[in-house]
Amino acid sequence: MHASILTHARSRWLWIAIALCAVSTALYLWHDPGGPANGGTWLGYTLGTVAALLVVWLMVLGVRKRTYANRVGTLRGWLSAHIYLGTALILIVLLHAGFQLHWNLHTLTFLLMLAVVFSGFFGVYTYLRYPVLMTRNRDSATRDALLEEIADIDQNAITLADGIDPAIHAVVLRSIDNTRLGGSVWTQLRAQDGSDAALARVREAIAARASKTQKQAPAAGQTIFAMVDFLASDAGNSQTEALRKLIDLLSRKKALATRVVRDIQYQAMMEIWLYVHVPLSFAMLAALIGHIASSFFYW
Amino acid sequence: MRWLIHRVIRKGKGSVASEDSVHDGDVLTIGRATDQAIYLSDLRVALKHARVSAIGRGQYRVESLIVAGIRVDGEITQAVNVGAGAKIEVGSTRLTLRAAPPGYDAAIEVSALDKGEQAAAKAGRARPTKLAQTWLGKRGPSWLLFVLILGFGFALPAASHYVKPLRAFLAHTHLPGTSFWNPGPLDSAHRQFGSDCTQCHQQPFVRVRNEACLTCHANTKAHADPVKFDLAALGDTHCRACHQDHQGADGMIRTDQGLCADCHAGLKERVPNASDLSDVGDFGTKHPEFRLNLPAWDANGKFAPQTARWSADLKEMSGLKFNHQKHLVAKGLNTPDGHRVMSCADCHRTEPGGAKMQPIAFEGLCHQCHKLTFDTLDPEREVPHANPAGVIYTLDEYYAKRALEGGYADARAPAGVQQRRRPGQTAEISPQQKQEALAWARERAREAAQTVFTGKACVTCHTVTAPTEAGQDWKIAPVRVSGAWYVEANFTHVKHSTMKCEDCHKNAPQSRASSDLLIPGIATCRECHGGAHADKKVQSTCIDCHDYHRAPELMKTGLKPSPHPLPPATATGQTPVATPSG
Repeated sequence: MHASILTHARSRWLWIAIALCAVSTALYLWHDPGGPANGGTWLGYTLGTVAALLVVWLMVLGVRKRTYANRVGTLRGWLSAHIYLGTALILIVLLHAGFQLHWNLHTLTFLLMLAVVFSGFFGVYTYLRYPVLMTRNRDSATRDALLEEIADIDQNAITLADGIDPAIHAVVLRSIDNTRLGGSVWTQLRAQDGSDAALARVREAIAARASKTQKQAPAAGQTIFAMVDFLASDAGNSQTEALRKLIDLLSRKKALATRVVRDIQYQAMMEIWLYVHVPLSFAMLAALIGHIASSFFYW
Repeated sequence: MRWLIHRVIRKGKGSVASEDSVHDGDVLTIGRATDQAIYLSDLRVALKHARVSAIGRGQYRVESLIVAGIRVDGEITQAVNVGAGAKIEVGSTRLTLRAAPPGYDAAIEVSALDKGEQAAAKAGRARPTKLAQTWLGKRGPSWLLFVLILGFGFALPAASHYVKPLRAFLAHTHLPGTSFWNPGPLDSAHRQFGSDCTQCHQQPFVRVRNEACLTCHANTKAHADPVKFDLAALGDTHCRACHQDHQGADGMIRTDQGLCADCHAGLKERVPNASDLSDVGDFGTKHPEFRLNLPAWDANGKFAPQTARWSADLKEMSGLKFNHQKHLVAKGLNTPDGHRVMSCADCHRTEPGGAKMQPIAFEGLCHQCHKLTFDTLDPEREVPHANPAGVIYTLDEYYAKRALEGGYADARAPAGVQQRRRPGQTAEISPQQKQEALAWARERAREAAQTVFTGKACVTCHTVTAPTEAGQDWKIAPVRVSGAWYVEANFTHVKHSTMKCEDCHKNAPQSRASSDLLIPGIATCRECHGGAHADKKVQSTCIDCHDYHRAPELMKTGLKPSPHPLPPATATGQTPVATPSG
């Protein structure tokens, strides 16, 4: 059976994380700090040390995933442990602090840690959801194959358009130039491309051509094929056929372009959270260093 | 206008040929239509794609004839004025505008883009399809955040510890100082320190030292006599071990059971010959029976209370005779002020603080009913209380005066004493009469003293010893209620005001002898109070009744064993007579 990062090795790390949380909680409940629970008791220091070591280890994942030759566990195992132990960190840190939150460096560290963990949750969500969508979207083609097909369609479309009308040719030419695949961060994430607009413009051009050749304009709401049939009434069969083909091609192109931008979007979604997760983890590491150093500075 | 059109034709293996042609006309047209000056067969070129016109002084105007525009020097444009050297890209053809050579008005070079150039041009126009190709990055923001947070979160506050002006500066800004490290609100008494952490944290990387605390808390007492007990060997003697600040109102005083119970277990084994203290733990299960002070006197008659473990048959020798039952009789008593039903509170009243009971003084309480009168003919006259010599003196004086004044209506008295005289006639008494009268007075005073001491007044409450020889005084046995029964515990009556007196002092209303011990033992307390983890009882820890800082020495002296410890204060030695209290 296929094991995801969450169910890796029969959810071994889930159980380890649960055990860690259970032991910490049991110690916390059993421990009598002789006042409000806080990080300065022996249990506070112990849980703090555990949490700090966990943070360092969690950050080592960034190194581990680059070293392909590393044989200390599989990367999938590391990632599974990273997710579960990172989640367990929330509880361990809260127990370490005795649930005391005030506006200071220590709470800032905690908030940064929460931000890192929750951005990580989004990452888990994308890793579980988007690869499936991506495979389905690509439909056993690669992105390069899709792009090549789009280039072929562009070539065919412009040849066809040239055979119909200079105006149509110009519009098709423009639509080729305006088809945006990829772009800024926002464009990639929004899955925007210009093919919709391009197709609309081609339809406009055909409609304009129709009203020129026939004074009676086609009724609103008519499909583009109805419009083509309408045009066929007073144009040569070859032209009608060419228009049909052009519309077919452009629709096909739009479908392909949509798949490509969606592919780009899925990939961007799987990456974008890391641009939050990684810098925030370094911010958290700095806060953690400050937290530990300041605790002993004013011991 | 004469145009030179210079066509560059690439042949295989890098060889290049060229051919020139001339175009006459104001405008140079570019397109796929055959009537264009520059005819391009590329399908990506419109029939009439663009036109170029020379506008003089080496300048050209490039205009697009299609809505899609034309790419000039890499930019899509509809119309633009450019100089020589500008490059127009149309499909896979590059048109380069040149300075007009001699004999021409304008010149243009036409060349095909080779495959490498086409790919590069395509790549140049390609939009990023991965986030890594955009402005987003991880390394830069990571470093930036790391440095910012470490700088403002740690380095700046740490620097302000060493540089006082920086500390003062930070206090006036919103920049983080050392108070940004404050892990929690200070105890209210320490709020006066504000953001000056150095008041307590005097040295970095050193835990708060006792000296810092004792700067203010100089008069804090030690826990135990440092000469007798090596506290340092027994446990942590740092203030911070029990007093942790930054916990708001809750942290400064440890109230948990472990505060005492952790040490007071096996103390005798751990400190041979140094401690006779019993092991103490949970109040509900591991607390020994109370030890209480009972009144006693040493051979010299000095009050020296004796400590004993509480037990139900313990007797109290206070020297006082008192019958609670007689006073608390339900139907009431006939008193000089009329009929009255007495209650505990008529005599036992708490001190203003509400903790202990006020001492019971004869005057004002007993005296309301127990008048010290001695002469039925003069029922207002009384002898003084608590002064046997004064009693004799008062009686002697009183009867001598009555004898000499005369008019004392007692048939047993001599005639001279009974005889009523006018004021100022005393001198007319004969010496014999005077002698007789004074003899009567002495006898009468002796009789009255006998009655007062042994008949109706003193002896009611006190043990009286009559003089055996002439010249000796009457003796009243000393009276003393313990003062503070439980000197080691802080008991507060007012906190228990929801209870009835007899709920704890169970047999008091029925007690007929003052030797009955009416002070409750631990069993009575345990009816309501349990240990720290008690269920369905008041959870009580050691500190609810006991003090930690209770040694005679101050902490300051306790840090180093003092060669001259202060004399031990006796908790019972200075209280006035008859002070029954909790």
